Amino acid sequence: MKRKILKGTSLLLANVMLVSALAACGSSGDKEETKQPESTDAGKTETTTETTQPAMDTTPITYTMLAADPSPDWNQMQDDVGKQITAKTGITLKMDFATDANKVSLVAASGEYPDIISAKGSSNLFVDAGAVLELSDLIDKYGPNLKKVYGDYWNRLKWSTDDEGIYVLPTYDGVNNTYFDAGGAFTLQHQAVEEAGYPQIKTVKDYEKVIADYVAKHPTTADGQKTLGLSLLADDWRIMISVTNPAFQATGASDDGEIYIDPKTYQATFHYRRPEEKEYFRWLNHMNDIGLLDPESFVQKEDQYRSKIAQGRVVGVIDQKWGFQQAIDTLKKDGKLSATYGFYSVQLDDKTVDHTFEPTGFMGGYGIMISKDAKNPERIIQLLDYLASEEGQVLVNWGIEGKHYNVENGKRVIPQDVQDKKLNDASNFKKTTGIGLWNNYGPHYGDGVQDSTGNYFTTNFPEQIQNSYSDEDKKVLAAYGKTTWKDFFPSEKEFAAKPWGAAWNLPVPSDSDANIIYNKLTPIVRKRIPEIILSKPSEFDAKWDAFMAELDKNDVKKYEEEYTKYIQARVDLWSGK
Amino acid sequence: MEAITNHNKKPGGLKRNSFLYKMLQQKYLYLMSIPFVIWVFVFSYLPIWGWTMAFQKFRPARSFWDQDWVGFKHFVDLFSDDRFFLVMRNTLAMSFMGLVANFTIPILFAVLLNELRHQVFKRFVQTVSYLPHFVSWVVVAGIVTKMLSIDGGVVNQMLMGLNLIDKPIQFMGEPHYFWSIVTASDIWKEMGWTTIIYLAAITGIDPEQYEAARVDGAGRWRQIWHITLPGIRTTISILLIMSIGHLIQIGFEKQFLLGNPLVIDYSEVLDLYALNNGITQNRYSFGTAISIFNSVVSIILLFVANGIFKRVTKESIM
Repeated sequence: MKRKILKGTSLLLANVMLVSALAACGSSGDKEETKQPESTDAGKTETTTETTQPAMDTTPITYTMLAADPSPDWNQMQDDVGKQITAKTGITLKMDFATDANKVSLVAASGEYPDIISAKGSSNLFVDAGAVLELSDLIDKYGPNLKKVYGDYWNRLKWSTDDEGIYVLPTYDGVNNTYFDAGGAFTLQHQAVEEAGYPQIKTVKDYEKVIADYVAKHPTTADGQKTLGLSLLADDWRIMISVTNPAFQATGASDDGEIYIDPKTYQATFHYRRPEEKEYFRWLNHMNDIGLLDPESFVQKEDQYRSKIAQGRVVGVIDQKWGFQQAIDTLKKDGKLSATYGFYSVQLDDKTVDHTFEPTGFMGGYGIMISKDAKNPERIIQLLDYLASEEGQVLVNWGIEGKHYNVENGKRVIPQDVQDKKLNDASNFKKTTGIGLWNNYGPHYGDGVQDSTGNYFTTNFPEQIQNSYSDEDKKVLAAYGKTTWKDFFPSEKEFAAKPWGAAWNLPVPSDSDANIIYNKLTPIVRKRIPEIILSKPSEFDAKWDAFMAELDKNDVKKYEEEYTKYIQARVDLWSGK
Repeated sequence: MEAITNHNKKPGGLKRNSFLYKMLQQKYLYLMSIPFVIWVFVFSYLPIWGWTMAFQKFRPARSFWDQDWVGFKHFVDLFSDDRFFLVMRNTLAMSFMGLVANFTIPILFAVLLNELRHQVFKRFVQTVSYLPHFVSWVVVAGIVTKMLSIDGGVVNQMLMGLNLIDKPIQFMGEPHYFWSIVTASDIWKEMGWTTIIYLAAITGIDPEQYEAARVDGAGRWRQIWHITLPGIRTTISILLIMSIGHLIQIGFEKQFLLGNPLVIDYSEVLDLYALNNGITQNRYSFGTAISIFNSVVSIILLFVANGIFKRVTKESIM
């Protein structure tokens, strides 16, 4: 016991030093706000406030954790980063991953909770059940770095207008994230664009023409397989990514999941009911009619879809890059660089503006909760605080200095051999170093935010992204006079941030009318949209009207009304009204 | 049994035929069965307590007394959902098709295998036929989809090669084909496995009966008709009664893996509906209501089937 106390006091000292060091650099580029007194004020009063702050206890302790996202490369914290975190905090995590969506629900119903819970969209189950701790006081006492990271967005941590407690520490979204690259949804093979002589690609007609010309000239690939014009994927939820969400993007609307939110009135609309989107689906119908749409689009499974793309047969893919990244990797490995894809901003016509990069601000949402049964919950807050500290964030993003990166002239540089391993042996690299395993477990800054030394917190920044482009990518970009795919899109600076963040991470209670109606609407959409796209153009209007009537019959209007209320409440909560 | 009862004769005041007397006499048998009774009770009867959830608005982490009671609301919701009846139709249709196919074909196959005189060949065929049982549905679904594909699928190429069709048929995209595709792949996967039971039953038939039949001048067909088939009749009826009890519980792997948005109206089955609307949506109570419905229907089906068989064939499992 005595030894523990001794250890504790020496740590207290270390902690004071750490905190004061951070407080000193806290003001770098941060907006000063009254809500975060620690940035400059804390500098003066640190001696008084910090001594009252309890020391960090680093006696070894194990916590159980449930994570909703599987992490196949998780190495029981036996990797470099994991060991370092244990050394700093004394904490070892015993992870349990939810291999399917139902596991989180079952844990919630069981009444026996792991110490730390990351439940993504199911967080409300735990909060409603009173299974998790309200964290405001703990953060006040033990989380100076947490306060610093969330800073301006404190209101976005609050649960609801009725209960302004903090139950979830958002760890998925990075604070002040800037996107440096585009990854969807309208993509074209480099060889098609090149043959067409790098035409302007702005509307679906331009997009269609590139595909049509290429398919007409090359009905089969070099190895004799049929060239496919445009392939989509409708396997389960992927239909939303590849078939229905692009309708938002192509009609100049902001993607909020399954609903469109009017930026002025906050009126929610089930997005298929927007008249503009009907025209987008009419275009897909037309693509099918002229034989450019892969007839297997709505039948194929993900593996078939990927293998077609990996064979270099598909001229255009409408999907997010992460949806067919594996296929792109195969193409690269096989040296078929000209069959890899570029990402273009495509609109239905020239009247609308692509809202892909409309900023959401910090989205809050998915993150970490602490069970009411957890012993010493302050230790968990200290762990999260460590992860949120500058030291912690550099550790989880860059690794260990001298081993995974070097500092040259004040700049963090990843040595070439480490970079090669990271790119070519990604899974093994993650397993041994632990870099990339912690991104969703700690509060963090997003891409493009710089630390006190002027280096980026994350390893995604413009120079690095351009380095990751292949020669073929660079050739096409150069022909258009761009440096990244994002340059094709209107910049986020052209838009005001959405005051509700992103509606798709809004927790809608599971037994609410909105949720029950939504579950009736989903099967209708997933069935009718493919049917409509595959129908004869002459039948399109009739079928579309029938689809609309079916939605009406299933209370779509009530769903919209309910959702509008949720959005309104969130805007109020987040704006601190 | 007789040995034990005789051995334990006890001249007590109890009547010889009374229940208690018999129980005392057979106490070791009772003792031996206790672990299994406990096992059945713990795993099959205790969970029935959870059925109370269906009448509550269940919320986790609350004690039983703190839950709100809603009566039959979840059942009303269930029976007023159009989708539920659609799903019910699909479940019963596929179940019934599977039942018919899985009874006729394996029996036929078992009888034919039994007639083979070449032992090595017989074993070989048997092994090959039951191997697919060990292949997971994920893989089977992949093979089926690939074979029926219009993009170089074997079936379409064959039909085209034989000039039976002019252009490839989108088998997987045609709602009306779905039930048949599921049934056919089920037969391919499970036929050999089911056959084993019938083959075992056939082995149990006394060879003297065949010899006697042959002496009487019965040919192969006569022997099959008059000896083999009646010989396995008990096995057939027991298996049939049990499968009727499971008619509604057909699982969802096949339908989930082979389905796609175009055929969803023919592919969604009750178990999938329960999963999607129950656990996945955190509507525990609604999920429980579906499961109660499921169990009740199964029990009714089982009793009806059993009753019919009792009357018609004098064979039953109860």
